[in-house]
Amino acid sequence: MKNKTYNRKKILVVFCCAVAVIFGLIGRLVYLMVFDAKYYQKKAEALHEREREIKAARGEIVDAKGTVLATNKTVCTISVIHSQIKEPEKIVKALSAELGMEEDEVRKKVEKVSSMERIKTNVEKASGDRIREMELDGVKVDEDFKRFYPYNELASKVLGFTGGDNQGIIGLEVKYEDYLKGKNGTILTTTDARGVELDGVAEDRIEPVAGNTLKVSLDYNIQMYAQQMAEKVMEEKQADKVGILLMNPQNGEILAMVNVPEFNLNDPFTLNTGNSDELSDEKKQDALNQMWRNGCINDTYEPGSTFKVITAASCLEERVVSLSDNFSCPGYKVVEDRKIRCHKVGGHGAENFVEGIQNSCNPVFIEIGLRLGTNNFYKYFEQFGLMGMTGVDLPGEAGTIMHKKENVGQVELATMSFGQSFQITPLQLATTVASIVNGGERITPHFGVSVLDKDGKEVEKFDHGRGKRIVSRETSETMKKLLESVVSEGSGKNAYVEGYHIGGKTATSQTLPRSANKYISSFVGFAPADDPKVLGMCVIYNPQGVYYGGTIAAPVVKNIFENVLPYLGIEKE
Amino acid sequence: MQPKKRKYDVTLLTALLFLVAFGLIILYSTSAYNGEVKFHDSFYYLKKQAFATGLGIAGMLIVAKMDYHIWRHMALLGYLIAILLAVAVLFVGEEYNGSKRWLSLGPFSFQPSEFAKVAVILLLAHIVSKNVKEMVKLSALAKVMLLILPIVGLVGASNLSTAIIILGIGVIVVFVASPKYGQFIFMGVLGTGFMTIFLALESYRLERLEIWRNPEKFEKGYQTLQGLYAIGSGGLFGRGLGESVQKLGFVPEAQNDMIFSIICEELGLFGAGFVMILFLILIWRFFVIATHAEDLFGALIASGAMAHMMIQVILNIAVVTNTIPNTGITLPFVSYGGTSVVFLLLEMGLVLSVSSMVR
Repeated sequence: MKNKTYNRKKILVVFCCAVAVIFGLIGRLVYLMVFDAKYYQKKAEALHEREREIKAARGEIVDAKGTVLATNKTVCTISVIHSQIKEPEKIVKALSAELGMEEDEVRKKVEKVSSMERIKTNVEKASGDRIREMELDGVKVDEDFKRFYPYNELASKVLGFTGGDNQGIIGLEVKYEDYLKGKNGTILTTTDARGVELDGVAEDRIEPVAGNTLKVSLDYNIQMYAQQMAEKVMEEKQADKVGILLMNPQNGEILAMVNVPEFNLNDPFTLNTGNSDELSDEKKQDALNQMWRNGCINDTYEPGSTFKVITAASCLEERVVSLSDNFSCPGYKVVEDRKIRCHKVGGHGAENFVEGIQNSCNPVFIEIGLRLGTNNFYKYFEQFGLMGMTGVDLPGEAGTIMHKKENVGQVELATMSFGQSFQITPLQLATTVASIVNGGERITPHFGVSVLDKDGKEVEKFDHGRGKRIVSRETSETMKKLLESVVSEGSGKNAYVEGYHIGGKTATSQTLPRSANKYISSFVGFAPADDPKVLGMCVIYNPQGVYYGGTIAAPVVKNIFENVLPYLGIEKE
Repeated sequence: MQPKKRKYDVTLLTALLFLVAFGLIILYSTSAYNGEVKFHDSFYYLKKQAFATGLGIAGMLIVAKMDYHIWRHMALLGYLIAILLAVAVLFVGEEYNGSKRWLSLGPFSFQPSEFAKVAVILLLAHIVSKNVKEMVKLSALAKVMLLILPIVGLVGASNLSTAIIILGIGVIVVFVASPKYGQFIFMGVLGTGFMTIFLALESYRLERLEIWRNPEKFEKGYQTLQGLYAIGSGGLFGRGLGESVQKLGFVPEAQNDMIFSIICEELGLFGAGFVMILFLILIWRFFVIATHAEDLFGALIASGAMAHMMIQVILNIAVVTNTIPNTGITLPFVSYGGTSVVFLLLEMGLVLSVSSMVR
């Protein structure tokens, strides 16, 4: 029964083995925790970290005078974290009262076992702050930016709006996305295996970079006044829609672009017609797309008589007509086998070219169009930039719809001479007229002027360039005089503003199909006539009752000029 | 054979209490999250463990005061009870995580295999010390091993790891009792061969080997990999007590087998090293007590306890560090488990009793 020596020896052997193995394991630990540590740490961090985006504030859009047209509003998202809730009933009461929600609705979300449940988004900041101050355990208030348009409907189709990720969807918001969007930041948080964020673990933050400010040529006051005028005439004439354009013919800056009915940019997914409930989703989307369309650039129309400006300029440039050429209008003109009528049934009788343009006499323009010939007509059409697009800085510009040159006979040439049987956008017409009267150089219509950083310092100035010469200075001078006489003595007299020299041209075109008896009335005018500083255009779609452009569209432009010319500092003579 | 003066091994007792207290702190840190998630009580695991620890310490103190020779008379009976309980668990055991290992006794659950370890130590110490002269013969050694095979088989049916521990304790006790070496080398070779065949027989055990070598490539390597993430995240000084992220559901049931990985994450290499040194002190004291025991019975009890402690600590840490394939072995005094801590403490009581009677 003695504890013998060999027993001790063997116990020593066992002990030594244990010590050896344990030190071996310590060695293994050292290896894992010192040499392999980086590898496993990285893997573990990747497992624990969740990336949360911090939205960058989107850049503002300001008008020429610095009025903010698009900005951001801080809104809050209220959520609950189930595992952290301590007093569910108190939370239900407080949240339903503050957020104006049914208690049952809130309770359902509070009691739901999930890692995080969203109660309400787009909550006003003041409301979110009050909820945060209640310090309810398990209630989370996250701040976020939402695009906000202070003037709701103003220039809605020009400015455009943004989507859920704050990305531009239409208008300038899309075109200048890269300047406006900024750079999102990230928060790296640590979570447990269920994805719940841990308190008290340091967060890694990469700060967001706010987007830059876009300065545009629009003028809030002009845009607002033009919109009111457009709404007034749409109401009076019960028209489908009205478009108004004001631009600087010297450099192409657009001062106003109105397309009524506009829509509310702060609520762009609600139809402005108000009967969205009965529509299917597909139909509603179609209706929304229709509502968002910018008629001035997305849709084409037959320009009608305003196009005579272009025909006249081409013929003068080509010297196939002089101001003193005499014509005779019996009320129609026969071209090949077709009798093409003048708008004055009895005819204008004997008239020279100046009187012809004042009267907007179709036979005169058919005559000079035929003198010009198809080849030259196409040459000038091309030269004036009418074949392509204007290059305006808005998405979705529509192209010109034109006959193929080889299909053009005398009849087609005759109708094109007074602006029918082809289609261009209203902006294309306004731009071409502006380019003819500004001395003869093609301009690029645009809104974007410059990009400012958050301190208002200019970072980039856009150069929209001055295009190539399209008509001679001489022709340009003649056209200004001719068009001034249209307003002072001819069909455009309703656009006359006392104390100013106004140039302009009216148009009344019948839409297709002709049998529907629907019209588009328009007027394009500029002032001062000898040195144009502003060009205005008004297009009224499907007016009821009197539909002559000279009668209904010209007064709109006159009214706007009366107010805008003094506003722009253009003195009466 | 009257003891002159009762003098316990103070170093052992100090190291032990240190370890137990440390174990409870780590257990709380590790289990608070799981307790909160599963039972809405972060103290759930700590309360149960603290209760068992209290019970165990009381038992330990009583056993330490008793003359350990009393247990000679109970050794055989204890062993029979262990076998009975092991049989019972096969039929009426509670299943948890797919293993039948627990007997339910009202609010308590009892793990018979933990009791079996102590019973086997006592039985072997008794039998071997009684027949010490026979131990030279190979046949006698074989007979002793045969004696514990029933419990190894019964426990192994549901809990292979514990069966291996019991077998290991048996081999070490017999090794200590025998004056020879050669036959043990022979036994070792035989055992290795046997293990190889055993592993090859069932494909899932071979799969374990594959997972062991490449834990990142297997879905079942998840636990091992998460343990490694925790260990690697610790670095030299760790994240700080309570700061582990891996315990938050990443390491499944972090308070059980993988608790050592959380020690590494929170306390770093130094903390983990400290724990291993505590275990080494424990084993060293067992060694000292075993070599100084007044008789072979006492020496074998201390040797058995040493074998038990070293096997379990070594296997647990080896598994956690992915040094060997994954198998469920708890870390003594630290991992969650009431039965385990109670019987470990009783075993410590036995060793303390032996230490009090050194010559």
